[in-house]
Amino acid sequence: MRTWILAALLIAPMAGVAQQPAKPKPIWARNHPLPHGFNVGEAFPTIALPSAVDGKTMSIADFRGRKVIVNIFASW
Amino acid sequence: MDVPVWHAAVQQLEQAGKVAVVGIVQDQHPDRARLFMQWKKVDWPLLADSLDLLNVETVPLTLAVDEYGIVRFTELPMAASKTIEQTFISQTYPKPAAPPPIERGRYESFHNWTDAIAMFEQDVKRDPNDGAAHFHLGSAYRKRYDSPERKPTDFVDAERHWTRALDLDPNRYVWRRRLQQYGPRPAEPYAFFDWIRDARKDIVARGDTPTPLAVEPGDSEFDTPDPRAAAAKKPATEPDPRGRIRRDRGEFVEVETATVPVAPSPGDTVRVHLTFRPNTRTKAHWNNSVDPLVYWMNPPAGVTVGERAVAAPNADTEVSQETRTVEFDAKVPVSARGRVSIPGYALYYVCEDVNGVCMYRRHDITITIPLGAATR
Repeated sequence: MRTWILAALLIAPMAGVAQQPAKPKPIWARNHPLPHGFNVGEAFPTIALPSAVDGKTMSIADFRGRKVIVNIFASW
Repeated sequence: MDVPVWHAAVQQLEQAGKVAVVGIVQDQHPDRARLFMQWKKVDWPLLADSLDLLNVETVPLTLAVDEYGIVRFTELPMAASKTIEQTFISQTYPKPAAPPPIERGRYESFHNWTDAIAMFEQDVKRDPNDGAAHFHLGSAYRKRYDSPERKPTDFVDAERHWTRALDLDPNRYVWRRRLQQYGPRPAEPYAFFDWIRDARKDIVARGDTPTPLAVEPGDSEFDTPDPRAAAAKKPATEPDPRGRIRRDRGEFVEVETATVPVAPSPGDTVRVHLTFRPNTRTKAHWNNSVDPLVYWMNPPAGVTVGERAVAAPNADTEVSQETRTVEFDAKVPVSARGRVSIPGYALYYVCEDVNGVCMYRRHDITITIPLGAATR
């Protein structure tokens, strides 16, 4: 019983803290391992990529200070 | 693709300045993604990683990155778009002790595709077994092929390096699709770009002009081949068996050939690509008020092709200067060794400049398929 209470005390404060990054799943547990910078808690790659509109480069780091949703896709 | 779903879910939050949304497209030809975004009325900044320097194995991938550049959610499913405001946007994240360093990487370190090719050649030389280096190099070759810097061998070089990349790491879905995009057509063709036809129709119907594409998708990029090409008038019998039509040796139309894969095994089916470019030096134009360009082939015994003639449809204007392509599959006999040649010729109507002299010309084209090992 004491173990359960201890566990509950440890877990309860974390329940509402969505910002705590989860530990990445080990590579063997994944269908498609993500490269460095794509796992929770890692810094997203700051590589500058050319705009598909005018070719001018832009980095996700240019958005620092704002939350960003990054959608990586192919049009096919 | 999950782009429209995410767009619908976060558009208001984005407009309210609560979050930014950025699309990163992995296409070889990112203007096709621009057309898609125009069609779906999505106005996100759209970045292109045609060379896959981000090193992603598969797509789509949606991630949430906090204001400090740290990934907070990865591989977000579409359903997460409904709760993203609570789970991510309204959350407070701890400021890291030091901001993550910014490395702007290699797209900014070259200014043309020739420089890029030289850079990635060095990577391949350093480690010939680095699949990513081969993919980067292959994609850079194809980029140059589609640019004014182009060399006629660039497409074949692209394929060669893409093939090597996939041999080294066969799990890379994006790489696999890149190669498949150019054929041969599998038994169950993949609808890479069939959506483009609907997109253009819808965009025109709402009174807009569709985003122009630098390179039109070829037949191997459609599940349903272009109905206009299928309907284009083709001869049932050999149109110039005695070779009487005057030859064009590139004065009016320059021709390139490529086969996919580059070095098939005996017994394989290959996709043959023929590209016809009006010569800008002679101001050559296609004459669109007559029969379309036709390629007639005389395959040797044992080589199987669908039809002996393939056609490229005319443009809608009276004359035009666009690049035309025809594609077809050819099955190489199991007994073949060394190389297989398919002789043939194209027939087309061209004019010297707008309102200039028009003529009918034949261009002899022999397709050579170098064969690889008898067994893979």
